[in-house]
Amino acid sequence: MKKKGRKAAGAVTSPLIRRPIQRQFAIFLLPTFLCFCIGFLWPFIQGIYLSFNKFSTISNTSWVGFGNYVKAFQDDGFRHAFGFTAMVAVTSLVLINVLAFAVAFALTKSIRGSNLFRGVFFVPNLIGGIVLGYIWKTLINSVLPVSMSIQANYGFWGLIVVMCWQQIGYMMIIYIAGLQAVPEDMLEAAKIDGASGWKTLWHIILPNVMPSITICTFLSLTNGFKLYDQNLVLTNGAPVRRGVGMTEMLALNIANNFTTANQRGVAQAKAVLFFILVTTIALVQLRLTRSKEVQQ
Amino acid sequence: MKKLLTVLLAAALLLGMVSLASAEETGKVYYLNFKPEADQAWQDLAKAYTEQTGVEVKVLTAASGTYSDTLTAEMEKKDAAPTLFQIGNAEGVVTWGDYALPLDGTDLINEMTTADFNLKNANGETVAVGYCYEAYGIITNKELLEKAGHSVDEIKDFASLKAVADDIHARAEELGFDAFTSAGLDGSSSWRFSGHLTNMPLFYEFRDDGITEQPATVKGSYLNAYKNIWDLYITDSAADPAKLSTYTGGAAEEEFMTGKAVFFQNGTWEYATLSEAVDPANLTMLPIYCGVEGEENAALCAGTENCWAVNSQASEADQKATLDFLKWVVTSEEGTKMMAEQFGPIPFKSAKEPENVFFKVANEYLAAGKYVVTWAFNFTPDVDNWRAGIVSALEQYSAGTADWGEVEYAFVDGWAKCYEATH
Amino acid sequence: MEIPMKKRITDERNTPGKKALTVFFVVISVLWMMPIVIVLYNSLKTNGAVNTQLFALPNAETFVGFDNYINGMTFGNYPFYLSAAYSVFITLASTFLILLCTSMAAWYISRVSDTFSKVVYYLCVFSMVVPFQMVMFTLANTARDLHLDTPWTIPVVYLGFGAGLAVFMFVGFVKSIPIDIEEAAAIDGCGPLRTFFSVVLPMMKPTLISVGVLEIMWVWNDYLLPYLVLDVTKYKTIPIHIQYLQGSYGKVDLGATMALIILSLLPIVIFYLTCQKHIIKGVAAGAVKG
Repeated sequence: MKKKGRKAAGAVTSPLIRRPIQRQFAIFLLPTFLCFCIGFLWPFIQGIYLSFNKFSTISNTSWVGFGNYVKAFQDDGFRHAFGFTAMVAVTSLVLINVLAFAVAFALTKSIRGSNLFRGVFFVPNLIGGIVLGYIWKTLINSVLPVSMSIQANYGFWGLIVVMCWQQIGYMMIIYIAGLQAVPEDMLEAAKIDGASGWKTLWHIILPNVMPSITICTFLSLTNGFKLYDQNLVLTNGAPVRRGVGMTEMLALNIANNFTTANQRGVAQAKAVLFFILVTTIALVQLRLTRSKEVQQ
Repeated sequence: MKKLLTVLLAAALLLGMVSLASAEETGKVYYLNFKPEADQAWQDLAKAYTEQTGVEVKVLTAASGTYSDTLTAEMEKKDAAPTLFQIGNAEGVVTWGDYALPLDGTDLINEMTTADFNLKNANGETVAVGYCYEAYGIITNKELLEKAGHSVDEIKDFASLKAVADDIHARAEELGFDAFTSAGLDGSSSWRFSGHLTNMPLFYEFRDDGITEQPATVKGSYLNAYKNIWDLYITDSAADPAKLSTYTGGAAEEEFMTGKAVFFQNGTWEYATLSEAVDPANLTMLPIYCGVEGEENAALCAGTENCWAVNSQASEADQKATLDFLKWVVTSEEGTKMMAEQFGPIPFKSAKEPENVFFKVANEYLAAGKYVVTWAFNFTPDVDNWRAGIVSALEQYSAGTADWGEVEYAFVDGWAKCYEATH
Repeated sequence: MEIPMKKRITDERNTPGKKALTVFFVVISVLWMMPIVIVLYNSLKTNGAVNTQLFALPNAETFVGFDNYINGMTFGNYPFYLSAAYSVFITLASTFLILLCTSMAAWYISRVSDTFSKVVYYLCVFSMVVPFQMVMFTLANTARDLHLDTPWTIPVVYLGFGAGLAVFMFVGFVKSIPIDIEEAAAIDGCGPLRTFFSVVLPMMKPTLISVGVLEIMWVWNDYLLPYLVLDVTKYKTIPIHIQYLQGSYGKVDLGATMALIILSLLPIVIFYLTCQKHIIKGVAAGAVKG
């Protein structure tokens, strides 16, 4: 697919089209580019610069080199948030994908009402993190003997439940698309060879839905690492033990850090580290799963 | 001819000077107000002042809980920044000290009856003026107390408070009410304990150690007293200690107003709401007794988070206009009337008497020569984070998932960390 | 031909195993919807009843009809209808702006394809991976400096931060459009603007819908960006409003909060029911962004 796209790219333009458009740069590209500079590029560059400074407002900065980074690594809260985030991300990655795949698999078995079920599973995905978190916080806290803000393991599983509820329907859609693309003839051949259900799943279906698995694992892993809204609403990092928020994830740790005026440099350094982490995970993860895909 | 010319010239010069001077004098006032509930009163007062003097007064009110964000944003507007703003505590002086004009010797200061509530910077200059004060303690329903066979006069110290509360709690079912309202740790209620109640150990520690400015560390030498009173709150109450985070401030208020509990830790500002349901004659306020030696001589906790500061970066004309406006607010009929209605007894010579029962009680304690428990918590570094740590620790301790050491850590180590983070 | 086919499918659906699976999924679906259902019936109960017996259905004593909805509209120190109006405006305006500008930009990028537009394209792709925390402080500051902190101007910020995904998806699509049609239009004397709006844009319809769906869902549910950028004392969106409800000092009316949650879900549910197909397609298309 990708290859084809790239080949076509060579022929996507001709002077006849190109010149006149280029002359209207100010209408076509400039508005988006300007906004992109305001909304992303400039803040990004400034963010990197500020991570090497001590500042409480942007107009008043002093260069501290890697001081902020050192402080970030020394921060117990940040280190704990890293471990906790990794745990949440990996647990949710496994649960979401296994369950979403199972649901997708069952719902492509042409059962009665499967379209309705798909619709139902997808609904939570429409709800934003804040509202969704609020709903679950109310429910979970009234079921548990003590609230999630007291028991860190309740907070952990609360986050997992919320993420599963929100994302299973979404991943299911992608898996369904993948499952529907498994070539019929391969399935037929397996049936004729008398392969068992598990064997078919393992040797035929899974390799063929690998692109979907790539996308879904990528999405659920980065979603897990970047989670903020739900974390904020469910526990806001509590319980605090020895000054460390036991259920505080990285994004929340950074955002909270920005609210203390003298800590903004450290918060910005943490944000840069966070950015590097998310990008690295995304790249490594994509490479790993892509290499397992069936060459088509 | 020459003479005429000189006269004309002199006249012109004079006129010019006059017009110059008057141009200089018309400064503007821009007040960034802290109290949403007083917004309308300020707007009306500003209008009255403008009508009388022609000086433009703009009042903007920050929504509840957003004052520092709003102030930061407004101060960035160099030419249209507030000329008058609010500093809440010592930390505010550190943050906004560069923007606060020293006010010593101004007419405003000379109108004050006490300097107890003012804030000073490191050079000892008064940079913010405490324009009102509030008091808090244990609000008590005298009628219920008498129904249970006790009276306010019995309660002299922690031991007697505990005896009364324990007795009421033991007979709660028979009486139909309990001793204390729920010690809710929901965000709408937790500040009563992470802010106001922590003042007790802080006040006594600072008193012993003679601390008068923000310390980098605290020892928590009176944390046992804090534990005494907190244990009493959560034991002698109908609320489930394991679920305190689900109890709101409104819930505690309602328990008190519907006669479900005798004691309610809160402050003078609750008067308007409580007096709607409870006869003011049955309302009083006790000092928070927590088992400290000599506490039978304690008065209520009194202090303020409301201090005016004048923007030193504003033009001189604006600064003068602002000071003139403030002087008018605390001396004029309209101003003092509004201040008494909105803020109770203000510490200015021309202040009017408020009707709030709690303030009368506060004054009685003072008249009896008892010592004011001042607001030591004004020194708290990185207030929100320090308090959040205390709340989480209290929550876990009350539910039994952590021991008291967690509260001690949040109090002592938390203080050091928060101080370090902001310095 | 058609009748036997249909028969075969119905037969397949009626095996005992599949029937059991259907029953199983009916149960799961009901459970899946429970959180929303519970909020829905709690929104009809008194504040006290929500607090003490969350799972109980409203009864004669606790049922308050639509009172919570009426109270909720003006509850707290900021009226809900205002937040809802700002949310609707910001969502629609931002989505419109993003669709218009990025589709044009994408066409320019793929048809001009010079170094500059390639750089812009790769920067856009890059921006998709960057977590918001990386720019949260600086973006909020930049936006405030440029006076973009009102609902009327925040779409510019959304266009800026959200350009990446939209440009990526549109470029992917434009590359698959044969250039002949545009050339024909150019030969007929159409300028680039006319070519774009009368030839290219109509062809882009499926991608426009996909991107539109994604942007609507993002902007409508977004919390941190508007919270940081907007002057929240004056302007709130629904997520900001809901978050303030639980943090606010003073009274918390749970009944009213439940009603507000339902009100905030309503537009998105209607949106979903009316264009479910497009939404699911859009989401699947957006997922390919990896």
